[in-house]
Amino acid sequence: MPELRKDPIIGRWVIIAVERARRPKGFKPALSMPDEGECPFCEGNESDTPPEIFAIRKEDTKPDHPGWDTRVVSSKTPLLRIEGNNNRYGRGLYDVMGGVGAHEIIIETPRHIANIADLDETQIAKGITCWIDRFVDLGKDERFKYVLVFKNYGWASGGGKLKHARTQLIATPVTPKRVKEELHGAKTYYDYHERCIFCDLIRQEIESQERMVLDLDGFIAVTAFASRFPFEIWILPKQHSCDFSSMSVENRLHLGTVLKTVLTKLKKGLDDPPYNFVLHTSPFRRKKTKEGYWKTIEDDYHWHLEIIPRLTSPAGFEWGTGFYICPISPEETAKYLREVEV
Amino acid sequence: MPELRRDPIVGRWVIIDNTSPKGPEDLQLEPHHYEDHTNCPFCYGNEYMTPPEIQSIRHEKTLPNTPGWQVRTVPNKFPALQIEGNLDRRGMGIFDLSNGIGAHEVIVETPYHTKDIADLELPEIEKILEMYCMRSRDLEKDKRFKYIMIFKNYGNAAGATLDHNHSQLIALPMVPKNVIEELTGSGEYYEFRERCIFCDMIKQELDEKERIITQNNNFISFCPYVPRFPFEMWIMPKAHEMFYYKISKDEITELAKILKEVLMRMKVALNDPPYNFIIHTAPINGEEKPGYHWHMEIMPRVSRIAGFEWGTGFYAVPTPPEVAIKYLKEAKI
Repeated sequence: MPELRKDPIIGRWVIIAVERARRPKGFKPALSMPDEGECPFCEGNESDTPPEIFAIRKEDTKPDHPGWDTRVVSSKTPLLRIEGNNNRYGRGLYDVMGGVGAHEIIIETPRHIANIADLDETQIAKGITCWIDRFVDLGKDERFKYVLVFKNYGWASGGGKLKHARTQLIATPVTPKRVKEELHGAKTYYDYHERCIFCDLIRQEIESQERMVLDLDGFIAVTAFASRFPFEIWILPKQHSCDFSSMSVENRLHLGTVLKTVLTKLKKGLDDPPYNFVLHTSPFRRKKTKEGYWKTIEDDYHWHLEIIPRLTSPAGFEWGTGFYICPISPEETAKYLREVEV
Repeated sequence: MPELRRDPIVGRWVIIDNTSPKGPEDLQLEPHHYEDHTNCPFCYGNEYMTPPEIQSIRHEKTLPNTPGWQVRTVPNKFPALQIEGNLDRRGMGIFDLSNGIGAHEVIVETPYHTKDIADLELPEIEKILEMYCMRSRDLEKDKRFKYIMIFKNYGNAAGATLDHNHSQLIALPMVPKNVIEELTGSGEYYEFRERCIFCDMIKQELDEKERIITQNNNFISFCPYVPRFPFEMWIMPKAHEMFYYKISKDEITELAKILKEVLMRMKVALNDPPYNFIIHTAPINGEEKPGYHWHMEIMPRVSRIAGFEWGTGFYAVPTPPEVAIKYLKEAKI
């Protein structure tokens, strides 16, 4: 019997259609497209990118020169522009705003490696340090409300033809809708129970073990109870925190290890699938008046990372309705991933 | 400077790139092609390959599950939901779940294996639209169902697993999240202004005349001011009506005309792209709200949805609707 499951945070129903259970086949491995010419993200080609904004590099090396471990540059084709203002105006029914924001690329290795699963955890942790540094810096710009950190790995995930491993970051002048829903859901739960819903979720997942992929170094990786996609995985810190940028140096290394392990399991177990991951963290908390979801955000929200392998193409109605059909149960995918040796 | 636009119904912000707008030549266009069609379960003579038909529009004196039909509805062979049983809603710690009760039907649109709606004659399209109504009216009688979703996936990239053209219908025991948002948004607008937001949207489109693809007596089609995808197109009835299935015979004639024209323009302008359409209609069996207005949303699948869109529900659209409209209007049909 198929099951309807409800995401406890934002209230989205999904169909877990176990009757259709077929392990996804026919997707194109992440790197199926040919590589394109000279790579601007490789060490030695620093002049091919916009000037660097931040880098972790060896002492005595100059910006925009070799000698770096991780490097942050502006996107050459930014979705939002850093100059200008976010003036709002109305046009009949509609609201319009200037598209200000920041769009940056975090280059995660000087070598031409595509999947961060193939980097070591210290190298991944250096990438995470870049996320944090940029997050903190962009927080000083009052025009920005939110910073979205995400990765598109492989052609089918929107990663383009360039294969060099990188994460992207976009600072937006409004808090995105999907983030607001999550904040709202977490707050509603907190108002009633006076507990963080994510902490409760972690406790329940540890108890049941059914969807556990990995429990290591203060983080858990689980397949989502109300998965939208097969093999959808959430990584959550066990210790409550609404803001990933407060992560200690030690925890960055731990997250690096957990990410590496999970991504390696995906790579080995599913033949190198394309994937996206998205960091879910609190918006900038500089509001002087603590209203709405700001009031208890530090207690009710819990940052985490969501990984979505791109094995199936969502059909139109899934976009249109927010109602997803997942062809394989998260219990089954978790079991499968647990058994993949890394 | 790119522009941020907010959807007035659900409140979603969208980035419109009007600094370097992309035309069809810049998009990833992979024209549709039909695979070899021997053994297609939707072709004449292969009726035995599908589950027994639920309803069909067919020539007199032909028997169910034999050739002679024009539109044929069968249960999905791999249904996402199951028709028999009780919902049995329950909790599991912090999680909620229920049995997957619902209907999942396939509407085979035409006996021709290689014809899409744009290629069909108007009376043939009318029969498809009529079938959508018949199935909706029938399923509405089942009080377990709160929502009927009719949609089409054309082409592999849009989620179609079989080439032979078909639409699908899913009857759900709960109202999907995006529909609730639409209902809430339009409901609030209605309460505050005592007007329907969709009617106001039609009025604004008619005033501005910038994004209208085409219109006739009963319907208007335009590129929405706040699209999620490049070349997104909507078709709306001019008269205020919540439910698709209450459409009249005359309206079906007009809808067939506008649907054919719009799909044809898209096919020419974008080189026969994969696409989806969805009929947005009000929920049934007590879940409806005033201020809703049924409509159809058509989304060509010509861009890839990346992590940014997943994570935020914040879409970046490389082709502003004001640019898309030019290509659609200039398309020679």
